[in-house]
Amino acid sequence: MSSVDIIDRAKSEGRTVLTEVESKQILEEAGIPTARAQLAAGRDQAVAAAKKLGFPVVLKVLSPEISHKSDVGGVKLNLRSEEEVGAAFDEIVAAARKAEPKAKVEGVSVQKMASPGVEVIMGMTMDAQFGPVLMFGLGGVFVEVLKDVAFRIVPLEPRDARQMIREIQGFPVLEGVRGQPPADLAALESMLLRLSAFVEEHPEIAELDLNPVFAYKDGALAVDARIVLS
Amino acid sequence: MTDLRQKLERAFNPRTVAVVGDKRALGYLWLNAMKTFQGKVYSVQISPDEIPGIDAMNVPNYFSLLDIPDELDYVVCAVRRDISPSIVADCARKGATAVTLFTSGFAETEQEEGVRLQRELGELARENGLLLIGPNCMGIYNPRLGLRQSPDQPAGEAGNVGFISQSGTHCINFSLLGYVHGVRCSKTVSYGNAEVLDAPDYLEYLTDDPETQVIGMYIEGPKDGRRFFAALRRACRRKPVVVWKGGQTEAGARAIFSHTAALASESRIWDAAMRQAGAVCVDSIEEMVDVVQGLLYIRPGSGRRVGLIAMTGGQSVVIADAFAQAGLDVPLLSAASYEKLASFFNIIGGSYRNPLDAGGTLAMGFRLDNLQRMLDILDEDINVDAIAIETGVAYLVRRGALHSSLLDNLTNLLSEHKERSRKPFLLILQAGNQEKEIAEIRGKFLAKGIATFGSFQQGANALAKVIAYQKNTSEG
Repeated sequence: MSSVDIIDRAKSEGRTVLTEVESKQILEEAGIPTARAQLAAGRDQAVAAAKKLGFPVVLKVLSPEISHKSDVGGVKLNLRSEEEVGAAFDEIVAAARKAEPKAKVEGVSVQKMASPGVEVIMGMTMDAQFGPVLMFGLGGVFVEVLKDVAFRIVPLEPRDARQMIREIQGFPVLEGVRGQPPADLAALESMLLRLSAFVEEHPEIAELDLNPVFAYKDGALAVDARIVLS
Repeated sequence: MTDLRQKLERAFNPRTVAVVGDKRALGYLWLNAMKTFQGKVYSVQISPDEIPGIDAMNVPNYFSLLDIPDELDYVVCAVRRDISPSIVADCARKGATAVTLFTSGFAETEQEEGVRLQRELGELARENGLLLIGPNCMGIYNPRLGLRQSPDQPAGEAGNVGFISQSGTHCINFSLLGYVHGVRCSKTVSYGNAEVLDAPDYLEYLTDDPETQVIGMYIEGPKDGRRFFAALRRACRRKPVVVWKGGQTEAGARAIFSHTAALASESRIWDAAMRQAGAVCVDSIEEMVDVVQGLLYIRPGSGRRVGLIAMTGGQSVVIADAFAQAGLDVPLLSAASYEKLASFFNIIGGSYRNPLDAGGTLAMGFRLDNLQRMLDILDEDINVDAIAIETGVAYLVRRGALHSSLLDNLTNLLSEHKERSRKPFLLILQAGNQEKEIAEIRGKFLAKGIATFGSFQQGANALAKVIAYQKNTSEG
């Protein structure tokens, strides 16, 4: 299914929040590397998807109504066998139903467990004055507590992508601290530029979070993604 | 050249001006402001109470714009708001190029009647290709032509700084305060409610104006943020633009789903937009004047290491604090400099690490030969990128040096240093209790092109912003 089809389907169903699986499909099409996720409506499908992707895998609850997935016990990491995947599926669905009884649980997303990298966040929102803007920051505590992020107005020029990455207080973390290898800044810059071009082509997108993106020595990967339509 | 640009060129450089509705109650504000105008000035006034005053100013008065036997380039309309549509219609019929609506009581009242009238004026102007400036504004200032917004603004001299202001007060105050700090306007505009022409239109015009080397702006909120951003980014690639943002616009309330939206506060996005465009941001009229002066007078340079001279121990401590707090470095000097300083520096009651605590060596400012030596040493020092000094001029004035040759010699010494040196240079001139005298002396320093600031903090801040601007520009 193409981006247009996914967006049209969501609209026809009266949804503005796309699921993780849908969001990642759209982003992949735009050339933004993601940890591809497959929808599994049932236990058997989840196991089959895991076998196809290769272990270890991650399962996350898939529901348009549940946005903070880990808060409801809806995320299981590092699942190494068919048995673990099957059990995780049951636990996630049960936990989600308990926490959000009214939510429509479509199943789970199954994705290959990404190797760990430096967590960063990229996102987009519509500003009332300047239209679409992009955000970049370090993930986790840096964004949650310190709000250490940089913004730029879309469209970004290469210089903008370069500068916004270097503008955050936590930039030294990306250069490699405590023996960590430096992150692939060129890959992050190119991701921001692709994201800029992508949101420019899709004015129907109101908000977008890639959180986290794992930044590696070579390359970067959006591990979770969410797109909100206007 | 576009049609709009051509018309703006005419409006900013008019040959003829008409003032509609000036009155005694205003002190004939507009006709007095136009006294210095080098072209022809006409008045339109129908009230028999007002006409004798206008006749007494020797300004030809007519009952209607349509009666004026001349082409009209620029009209100022100061009539009541309910009459203003008929005046704008007359401007259109007369084929005037531009009209400034001094009249207020429109959309800024947020009342239905005002909003409706403003829209009506806008439609009239747009349909007829008439440039409408305002309403609720002071219009255009071109000192070279003596075209003014207020009778106390300087006239006759062409400056090189453009100013675009949503507020009339800030626009006029910038021209007045700037003038006594060495900042001379080329062209300014107070544009008020921006019904037809908005900030980006004026910004584009001044970007292309060869007379304007630096642009200042006071803005509360552009009507079209994306258009403003595009115009600002283009402008900043041609010349420095200093932006002073006033007020906060109301954020539209809506449901937020993402981290990104939750973090995107209005002020953060504004700051990001300014940085991305390459503008220099300031927070007050004083800082606006300081930073514009810095951009004009301080030689370009992007190094952050400052060599400092002050006259006493206490001054040396706080000048170093001020420059460090502005994000600049106050490094140790080179070994070669310390060797040279040791040969003549009086260390009793002084020291020369950096800052040079030089009062003793300079006899509190009376020994200019040693000041020359110190400046030369800092100029040659490889650890120093920029030089800032405070030489206790207010103290010299208290000691009776106001009209002595000492101050002239100091002025010449500093001016020659500035010409010779490749390093950014600025003078701190603290007034203390000698405000009047220091204002006079400041004028002399500025006339020689020496950047002069009233406090350590102001000087440090202006230098830091100029350096950041240069660095950002050179990164391309």
